[in-house]
Amino acid sequence: MRLLVIEDDPLLLHSLSEGLREELYAVDTAADGEEGLGKARETDYDCIVLDGMLPGIDGWELLARLRREKKTPVLMLTARDAVPDRIRGLDAGADDYLTKPFDFEELLARLRALIRRSSGLGASLLNIDGVEIDTAARLVRSGGEIVSLTPREYGLVEYLALHRGSVVSRTELYEHLFDESDDTLSNLLDVHVSNVRKKLGAGFISTRRGHGYSIE
Amino acid sequence: MKLLFQSVRWRLLLWYALILLCLIAGLCLLAFRLTSNDRTFQIDREIRGFQGTFFRALFASRPLPNKNDLPSFDEIRDRLRNPGEVSSFPPELHALFEGGNGGIYLAFWDSDGSPLFISANAPAKLCPPKPNNDGSTQYIEKFNRREHHRTNPTGISSIVGRDISEEKKELRNTGLLLALGGGVLWLAGLGGGWWLAGRALKPIDTIGRTASRIAAGNLDERIQIANTDNELDRLGHVLNDTFERLSAAIERQKRFTADASHELRTPVTIILSETQRALKREREPEQYREILGNCRTAAERMRALVESLLVLARQDLPASRTEPVACDLADIATGVADLLQPLADEHSITVKRELSPAPLKGDPHSLAMVVQNLLSNALVHPPSGSTVVLKTSVNGDGTVLEVSDNGPGIAAEHLPRLFDRFYRGDSARGQINGHTGLGLAIAKTIVENHGGRIEVTSDKGTSFRAVFP
Repeated sequence: MRLLVIEDDPLLLHSLSEGLREELYAVDTAADGEEGLGKARETDYDCIVLDGMLPGIDGWELLARLRREKKTPVLMLTARDAVPDRIRGLDAGADDYLTKPFDFEELLARLRALIRRSSGLGASLLNIDGVEIDTAARLVRSGGEIVSLTPREYGLVEYLALHRGSVVSRTELYEHLFDESDDTLSNLLDVHVSNVRKKLGAGFISTRRGHGYSIE
Repeated sequence: MKLLFQSVRWRLLLWYALILLCLIAGLCLLAFRLTSNDRTFQIDREIRGFQGTFFRALFASRPLPNKNDLPSFDEIRDRLRNPGEVSSFPPELHALFEGGNGGIYLAFWDSDGSPLFISANAPAKLCPPKPNNDGSTQYIEKFNRREHHRTNPTGISSIVGRDISEEKKELRNTGLLLALGGGVLWLAGLGGGWWLAGRALKPIDTIGRTASRIAAGNLDERIQIANTDNELDRLGHVLNDTFERLSAAIERQKRFTADASHELRTPVTIILSETQRALKREREPEQYREILGNCRTAAERMRALVESLLVLARQDLPASRTEPVACDLADIATGVADLLQPLADEHSITVKRELSPAPLKGDPHSLAMVVQNLLSNALVHPPSGSTVVLKTSVNGDGTVLEVSDNGPGIAAEHLPRLFDRFYRGDSARGQINGHTGLGLAIAKTIVENHGGRIEVTSDKGTSFRAVFP
């Protein structure tokens, strides 16, 4: 899952992005509205964490402009907790709202919920042919046993599982699994896919030659 | 009851009632007096007229030998003793001889007190009048009778009188009628007064109710004012102006509190987020060190903010200000410049000191804070390599402190709000350099508390000037 964090306070930006990376997200960062809007337009993020008070274009303005083009889920962070501010944020197109100071665990839960909702799923537990994917605990079980996956492998399984039934292109996978600072070669994707097949069974991920991968 | 008389309307009405009562009572009394006097005057005239008629009749039946002579007193005595036949008198005088009640009666006595003539209708036990010293006539009223008493110089005394119980009854009725009319008038007046007082006080009532709604928190409401410019409208204008200022002050205070809490939220968020991240899994000591460092930075920001807020709060409270002492702004500026030299070196900025003696009465500690805020502001914002001039002087305006840089300057749109609390030119938070957004606001408050003013000009380079007259 790839996220964009737009926050002007460098310390908070650092703390959030590091925390999210440790939770196996691919995280891009932006320190002002201009940069944030540019990145949000360019890439299809799974979710955007947006601060309300930003220099240049502020959070609400950014959201309003982004919504003309994209439906990327947006979670707004703001220090203002007055009802009119919340209404303003939600009306501008925010999908969720979190007031500073917030609990990091709550931020994670809300992000999971937003990503789940945008891919049309209700529960945090996915079951695919005896393979159980717990998106809350970020674990994969096969036949009741926990399968040890690297962060990238887990990200691959989760992304494909959330888009179950549809073919996901290599570019799309690459975009959602690696953040902007990653310059990994794209053939690394094949390595991850083959590793997952080894751990969860060869038929778990099917290849559509020339199109991409899918979980049936 | 006590409450009732505290009401202006009731008090007004009470005074009104009292004054109206006095007026009406006075008028009624006057009218009664006039009527009564008029009646008495009529009765007296009637009595005198009757006496004349009697005498004319007395002499008409047997005329005097010489018509032009006045009858002598002996003749009068004689005539009175023997008035003659009843039939020779006009009918209106018959009662004098035939008796009965009512009508005018006559009685004459000789000087020795023996009766000369007492009419048949006279009341019993009629005594001759007491002799009068000056021999004049007098009217006496007793036992529902009005009598004309007279003693002649020759000693003949007379009483002419009549029963006036009828008139008295009439007068009583008139009095009653007047009292009744007066009472009705008074009540009607009271009603009118109540209505008028209510009408006059209604706008006050409206103002009061609006004011209490505003006091209850509805700060946007204002008193409705008709454009008549009367006393109440002026009061309304005064109150509306007061509410305007009050509401602006409350709005400022609210924004300040909201801003302060907003400024505190970010560092708290950082500390929360960093500690939660740290505790989530085992880490290398290096990582813990980094996270603790971040927490410390956030905490230091909070400390700077809290200290600034405290300074502002103290400056806002007149009671906590210290007694002004004589000090020199140049010395204070030297101290601060020495203190901030490392910061200047860090940003590669040259501080040029142009410090001529600038004596001043004030709080040296607060003044040092002004210099520090202005100088550190000038050290942080311009690009490195710039020159900052720190200058103190005395000129016609007063003692002047000036901090100017040759940086890129500040956009004109930011200048008017630069001294607002938490105002930052770029609308960003940027507490990065330990700037709380309160430095200039604190400087302004301190300068103003010293009776001075602070201003900023910015074109090529920015110049802050604090003038203490």
